[in-house]
Amino acid sequence: MKKKALSLLLASAMVFSMAACGDNNGDSSGETKQSETKESADQSESGESANQNETGESGSSDNEGGPGYTITEFDPNATYTQSVALTSIPGNWNMHDYEDSASGNIFDYLVDGFYNLSYNDELHPKEGAEDWKSYIFLPGMAADYPTDVTAEVKAAHPDWIPASATEGYAWEIPLREDLFFDTGYHITADTYVQSMKYLLDQRLQNYRATDVYDGAYGIVGAEEYFKQGQINYIDNGNVGNPLESFVKGEDGTYTFEGNPVYVAVDFAIAQTGGNTLKDYVDAYGDAYFGMDRWEELVALMDDNGLAPLNDDTLAMVTDVTTTNPNWNETDGLSVPAYFVIAETMPDGISFEDTVGFYAKDEYTLVQVFKGGFDGFYLYSYAIKDSLVLVEPDVYESCLKQDESGAWYSTYMTNKETSPSYGAYSMTGYQTDKQITFAKNDKWFGWTEDLYHVYKDPNDGNVYRGNMTTNIDMQYVPEIATRRQMFLAGQITTFGLEESDYEQYGHSDYVWSYPSETAAGLWVTGNMNGLEAREAAADFDTTTQDTQTIGLVSFHKALAVSFDRQAFCDECHPAYAPGYGILGDQYIYDVEDGLFYRDTDQAKQALCDFYSVNVSQYGGDLDAAVDSITGYDLDAAKELYKAAFDESLSLGYITDADGDGICDQTITMIYASSAPADYVTRRINYLNKWISEAVVGTPFEGKLNVVESAPLGDSGWIDAYRNGSADMMIAGVGGSIYDPFSAMSLYCDPNQNLTANWYDPTTDMITLTVKGEEITMSVYDWYRAMNGSMVTVNGKDYSFGSTDVEPDVRMTILAALEGRMMSRYDILPMCNFGAKSLLSQKLFNVLDDYNPLFQSYGPRRYNYSDAEWEKYVEDQIAAHGQLQY
Amino acid sequence: MFKYTLQRLLYMIIVFFVITFMCFVLIRMLPLPALPPDDIHTEVIQMRREALGYNKPYLVQFGIFLRGIFTKFDWGLSEQLYTGRSVLTIFLEKLPATMIVNLYSILWTIPVGIALGIWAALKKNTWVDYLISTLTMVVISVPSFVYAFLVQYIFCFRLRLFPLIMKGGSDYFSMEMFKSMVPAILSLSFGVIAGFCRTTRAELTEVLTSEFMLLARTKGLTKAQATVRHALRNCFVVIVPGIFGEFIGILGGSLIIENIFAIPGVGGLTLNAIRSQDYNVFIMSTCFYTAIGLAASLVVDISYGFIDPRIRMGSKK
Repeated sequence: MKKKALSLLLASAMVFSMAACGDNNGDSSGETKQSETKESADQSESGESANQNETGESGSSDNEGGPGYTITEFDPNATYTQSVALTSIPGNWNMHDYEDSASGNIFDYLVDGFYNLSYNDELHPKEGAEDWKSYIFLPGMAADYPTDVTAEVKAAHPDWIPASATEGYAWEIPLREDLFFDTGYHITADTYVQSMKYLLDQRLQNYRATDVYDGAYGIVGAEEYFKQGQINYIDNGNVGNPLESFVKGEDGTYTFEGNPVYVAVDFAIAQTGGNTLKDYVDAYGDAYFGMDRWEELVALMDDNGLAPLNDDTLAMVTDVTTTNPNWNETDGLSVPAYFVIAETMPDGISFEDTVGFYAKDEYTLVQVFKGGFDGFYLYSYAIKDSLVLVEPDVYESCLKQDESGAWYSTYMTNKETSPSYGAYSMTGYQTDKQITFAKNDKWFGWTEDLYHVYKDPNDGNVYRGNMTTNIDMQYVPEIATRRQMFLAGQITTFGLEESDYEQYGHSDYVWSYPSETAAGLWVTGNMNGLEAREAAADFDTTTQDTQTIGLVSFHKALAVSFDRQAFCDECHPAYAPGYGILGDQYIYDVEDGLFYRDTDQAKQALCDFYSVNVSQYGGDLDAAVDSITGYDLDAAKELYKAAFDESLSLGYITDADGDGICDQTITMIYASSAPADYVTRRINYLNKWISEAVVGTPFEGKLNVVESAPLGDSGWIDAYRNGSADMMIAGVGGSIYDPFSAMSLYCDPNQNLTANWYDPTTDMITLTVKGEEITMSVYDWYRAMNGSMVTVNGKDYSFGSTDVEPDVRMTILAALEGRMMSRYDILPMCNFGAKSLLSQKLFNVLDDYNPLFQSYGPRRYNYSDAEWEKYVEDQIAAHGQLQY
Repeated sequence: MFKYTLQRLLYMIIVFFVITFMCFVLIRMLPLPALPPDDIHTEVIQMRREALGYNKPYLVQFGIFLRGIFTKFDWGLSEQLYTGRSVLTIFLEKLPATMIVNLYSILWTIPVGIALGIWAALKKNTWVDYLISTLTMVVISVPSFVYAFLVQYIFCFRLRLFPLIMKGGSDYFSMEMFKSMVPAILSLSFGVIAGFCRTTRAELTEVLTSEFMLLARTKGLTKAQATVRHALRNCFVVIVPGIFGEFIGILGGSLIIENIFAIPGVGGLTLNAIRSQDYNVFIMSTCFYTAIGLAASLVVDISYGFIDPRIRMGSKK
């Protein structure tokens, strides 16, 4: 949710910064700035010179008595069309109901926010930050910045805000008075309140309702209003109540805080990865489960797939999940994760009395949150705006009921039902074909100055943030067609595929977009799974072996067998070599844009893992880190020999003739979701580098990697997890501003993909924090680092953002990353990324990539549509296609 | 004949109903997509599934489905691909693009294919026959999407004779739209022309050597008269089902061709519906193609009687 909310803000900012043309407003004096603008274009990445000023009536705004800057106006008679080829096109972009990013990309043009994330430039400076290097939130639909009214709201509604809270929970947002939908509907605070009611309308079961009530960023009372009268099933695996916390009643059934507790027999829960226990038992039976009492348990479940928890059903589910070691839960600690608590929500709740979202007056909106926030998190996560607002008249007309009685909405499913209050109005929509937008003249931003202009750092001129006048989106699923359209000047960007890198990878028009996702080679340590495979009747242990794959010594040898740069070159040219399990783009301090990977702790963790002696570099951590390649052929050979010795001593392999060569062939299964070129390239790469590394070792000619059968979207991960596949290359990313929670996939036993052979609750780490030596498990360090209270030896610890300085959290984070790497199950390989060509029609204002905005600043046009058409004609006449 | 037709119609309805029921139940028996663990939206998804009746018995669900069709011709709403939109509307919106591109293709490919086949048959064992037959074999061996890429690259990208993709909008009969459809029409045409050419040549070659053709000529008919009045008519017993088959293909569309030329048609709709478990879209498209297929087979069977009077439908003798 955080990521989605932020991406919405970022997208809004990108719309703002998309470099489009504004109308000349009434302040235009008619002065021209042609020379400056032309120079700017000449200096741009595109290197093309022709621009709007050569043909248009450029003007400038001399805001007398205004903020003291002059706007270099774009040609008001020209059109600047952004043409986009979509690889997926949504059929619905209702902000209350959308489920994918493609939908979000559509409605971003139609909405606006109270506050918009923007670069800090000379006109919008940020204290202590270099221009264009940080960010600033600028009022959009809000008339001014919000006011903290926690005390006031708390006095009126003491039950809404914790007694100890004094600030950050309730915020008053003043709205502009000139807000309109393109239908003419006037937007006031009441419009927002009405929209929130629609979003939380229980009949409609809007997918995005959870986004406004879930977690600390949620609106107070929204969940109660949405779920009133319903049974709310709480997955105990998510909340972690231990068995002792359930109370047995007189009838023998257990309750939790008065609510009945059930065993989730055929009910989707997190413990079974979103499937049901019955799904698993039906699929695997006694290979993984105890089946003695399974049928008894199934017989007791109700229509919802739930069986009341009593001593009998407790014994049954315990028998099913703990008796077979292959399910890896023999300790019984996970049994409560199969429980569901049925909480009945109170009925008859009114919106006005319950939900902390109300209009103070016509143009003032108050929002009350479950948690207290300020700064970045308030603007980007907490404040609810563009996800909520709908045009009430159109929305009402779109509500319908289907044959089964379920309600649904056709809001934002075509042009007629897509009212806009953003910069653009939808002017056309054809299913699976095309969406077009044009300037929304009712949007205040086309005439607003201060918050919708920027000062170009190259030429010093002030430009309007929006230069695009029209947007034309075509659904073009075929890559070859998109490539030709780009080379014919018909679309403005083209995302490079692997096959394009040789030709366009070093073009002057190519732009890199690094991702926070880091990918590693995950190698199995699941000895149970490997032994089970060797136990199969057709497995000949005299000629084959799998158990060696699970040895840490073997993983260590693999770890230094691969040149990461070569991996990127051969498999994924847009990726960058990666040496940690956390991506290089993770930002731990949003306010100052500080990267985790740039911290001393993170650098030291890498040096420790790759055995780089920092003193050899004069104590220069940067130089030490720069020396890391991850590839050491000599060390690899030694480590393979060590792995051979260990495996031999354990009896996994033999050397009957004593020639020092392993008798068995070790075939490693690479988990693959579906056949694909990139999978083939990866496997070829692995085989090539492993083959080179084992020359002259006992494993020479004995190791090879093969692709698994197609395992499907999630099956490939399951195969790795359960030991039926030996390795995979998987990326872990998300929450770019929160590297701490990103560690969940490694440190949280409920999410850890290696949980079948690694228990982060028993793996202990000792760290010195503020002079105190503390020992706790990996899981507890992870929880404490993320703000949970952890008790060790009777003492409470919490190392959340509000508890300790960032430096302490960096120390913990780096220690956890180092520990995960030193397990050698996950061998860092690369950081994800993408590259795309930008049309000569446009240019990015900045040369440096900003991960916060995931862009290179605003874009402006080198050519108007008419100029572009002529330019393309000339280029094609001369060269046959545009030259990139 | 009339009785036979009525009988076939009745059977058709029964078969249609059985197929629909089977497809409805089978698609609903597929497990619903697993709910993502730790995703806050799962509870809303579960509530929505409950409201949509996914947890009701299959027969009840089928009853609700039939009630919607018979009372309001309501085929339900798309749940995954086009959330909240009527599947009938979507289907009808997408069908014309597929139909028109394929129709244009067939309108010229069938006459050309048959004409080339006739020419090759009449010029049997001459260079004309060899040339046509060789080209036919080559063309038939290459899938249509290869032509699509070639046509797009040569005619659209290099020569710039046509747009790279089909024009947007619903003005299907405008000259601009037609021009944008030409590359797709061409791509679809090569294989069809080759197919009809080969079939026509093979049939006609055989018929032309029949004794009744000799009789026709001895009665004084010219070669052209004998070929058109007698030989071709016999050939059509084989060719006509092929033509109907092509018409069914029209409605099915071609996923790859539609992707290459960005045609907003129905190609791949059924497949996408299965992949995303969009029940109503799947049932809508399945029912449509089932009905068309059954109707086409009936028309083909009946057409035999008109083409060749010796064939009597429904006769027990």
